[in-house]
Amino acid sequence: MMATTVDVGSAAAGHGAEPRGKRGDDGQATYLIAIAEALWEEMERDERVYMLGEDIGVYGGAFKVTEGFLDRFGADRVIDMPIAEETIVGTAVGSAMEGLRPVAEFQYADFMSSGFDSISTLLGRYHYRSGVPLPVVLRGPSGGYVRASSFHSVNPEPWFAYGGGIKIVAPSFPADAKGLMKSAVRDDNPVMFLEHKWIYRRIKEQVPTDPDFLVPLGSANVRREGTDVTIVTYGALVHKSLEAAENLAQRGISAEVVDLRTVYPIDEETVLASIAKTSRALVVTESYRFVGIGAEVGATIAEKAFDQLDAPVTRLAPPNMPVPFSPTLEDAFLPQIADIELAVEELSAW
Amino acid sequence: MATEASAAPSDARGVRLLPDDELVDMLHMLKLCRYFDERVEALYRQGRLPGAIYSGRGQEGTHVGTAWALRPEDSLFPTHRDLSAQLTKGLDLRRVMAQFWGRIDGYTRGRDGNSHIGDWQGNRTFTVMSHLPIAYPVAVGAALAYKLGGRDNVALAICGDGATSNGRWHEAINTSAVHRLPVVWVVNNNRFAYSTPNELEFAVATIAERAAAYGIPGVRVGGGDVLAVYEATHAAVERARAGEGPTLIESVSLRWRGHAGHDPAKYVPEEMLQQHVANDDPVRNFEEYLLTEGVITKEDVEQIERRVEAEFEEGYEFALASPFPEPGDATKGLWVEDGYWTSEPGRGGGTEAG
Repeated sequence: MMATTVDVGSAAAGHGAEPRGKRGDDGQATYLIAIAEALWEEMERDERVYMLGEDIGVYGGAFKVTEGFLDRFGADRVIDMPIAEETIVGTAVGSAMEGLRPVAEFQYADFMSSGFDSISTLLGRYHYRSGVPLPVVLRGPSGGYVRASSFHSVNPEPWFAYGGGIKIVAPSFPADAKGLMKSAVRDDNPVMFLEHKWIYRRIKEQVPTDPDFLVPLGSANVRREGTDVTIVTYGALVHKSLEAAENLAQRGISAEVVDLRTVYPIDEETVLASIAKTSRALVVTESYRFVGIGAEVGATIAEKAFDQLDAPVTRLAPPNMPVPFSPTLEDAFLPQIADIELAVEELSAW
Repeated sequence: MATEASAAPSDARGVRLLPDDELVDMLHMLKLCRYFDERVEALYRQGRLPGAIYSGRGQEGTHVGTAWALRPEDSLFPTHRDLSAQLTKGLDLRRVMAQFWGRIDGYTRGRDGNSHIGDWQGNRTFTVMSHLPIAYPVAVGAALAYKLGGRDNVALAICGDGATSNGRWHEAINTSAVHRLPVVWVVNNNRFAYSTPNELEFAVATIAERAAAYGIPGVRVGGGDVLAVYEATHAAVERARAGEGPTLIESVSLRWRGHAGHDPAKYVPEEMLQQHVANDDPVRNFEEYLLTEGVITKEDVEQIERRVEAEFEEGYEFALASPFPEPGDATKGLWVEDGYWTSEPGRGGGTEAG
């Protein structure tokens, strides 16, 4: 595969577009650049890794995550596909059966539902029935807070967690995003990698350059230590929860913030260890309240830490409805920093 | 442009497509598939087989003729109706029957039943799914891997006329044409999608002519003639192998039995069925052709039939002697890292259904 795709000329021509070259002067990488670095490094490391998706080649992807990849890796490894999500997933599966390691981009995670059958029924169930490993990564931007309304703000993770067989990752920080993406590409199971579009260019930090820097799938992370209340969350709401915790600290309330990082399967151990410390749990998600990720996290805490709780497990999540467009409506609909603060205050008063 | 590729088996062929021993093997396979289909239905009706059955009877010409054109390392993406194609590709009848009876030696280790089967590791066949034609896009992926890897393999996918109405059928063929992939698209047009006839499925005269919309060749062939099916498929497979892209083959047959074992298929006009059975039975047609051509004798046919019966009995005994899966293994094998599929499975489940 490499022989037909990479020659010295094209590699040199594309060098300037290497994602690491796009870090800021301070050496920090945005979440978007960190993800691009991970993909770039994994494609350089393993010639079986290739990408397919809509407008990922010449255009570099709707959010420009794959900008420069076509020049560096060639059209055989950066494949522009027709707008046919079922076939993008099916193609990824078939190529994985024949030994490749596909990374399929969805322009928005919303359009994963256009490939629902092939994701849930095929990709998620195939290994259980056949013993054939499917090292497939499905990635795409998810989540709201960007005035993108009903069809560009979806959090699809509960749809696909329900079916089983697909690990679902939703990082909140650039370094985590890089290390988790590299782990996802190296994992022999299907992985859905949800990139929060509100975070893409908003959050940056120092990101390791070690080509083998990995963050394990299935491990949560305590982002802020606290003693009064545990906030369990992921994605953009990690940042909003951290800001809420900072504000609460000034009012004498100590909140611990647990970033799930992987939402399926969840790291129960880290969550329960935090509850053992605080005895109070607030679960904050963008995924809907009914049958959402928060419902599962809350039920797990209620079931396994009942004797440690001093207050009811509380959820903060939007209702099962379309995400609205208008700023006043979207702000009212999605959990905000003030909502988190209020919920923590109520919990800590128990 | 769709072309007709048909030749009745009784036509004198100037050049034999296959050597005599392969022709005899082909007859054996046709008869094995037919016998299996009939016996399994009998056992199902007697309440001696769990689950469901999806008969491919009357369509063996399509199944055997297409799969015969593949090399072992070429891949096959069939449906539940196409078990005969999987047997032709090389699946072990004993393990197929263990699958039908839910035993650990079945290809899915009891995780799936009947013709929802496949053997990717051994015979490069996709483990069948019900959401048709969900395997069509998967064949695109396998063909893509062959092209990118510089391998001269071919992927061949089969679906029924019913599945051609689904969006994935269009998506997959279109994508394969755009990227000129080494894949052969076969439609087993048995003229009914469950109970819905061709007239309510599409408004064009043939499925093969749809190929023009994708810029690929379309071929229509009579499924009652296994050699015509083989000839058309062989040409398409070798065309794909040579890097010339996909071909669509419509093989016309009739579904002799219901969609599944529970369905008496009263919606199939009696006359249509009788006419097809009388004229287009691919097994009998091929047997008569080989007798006429002097490739085999009546005694050879009887010998093949005795061999087929013995193979079925051996498979049946193997299946019933195979243990059920260990109940504790029900939740294993979802994730690669639990090692279930790379280790010997638990065989402590007894052989009598509880």
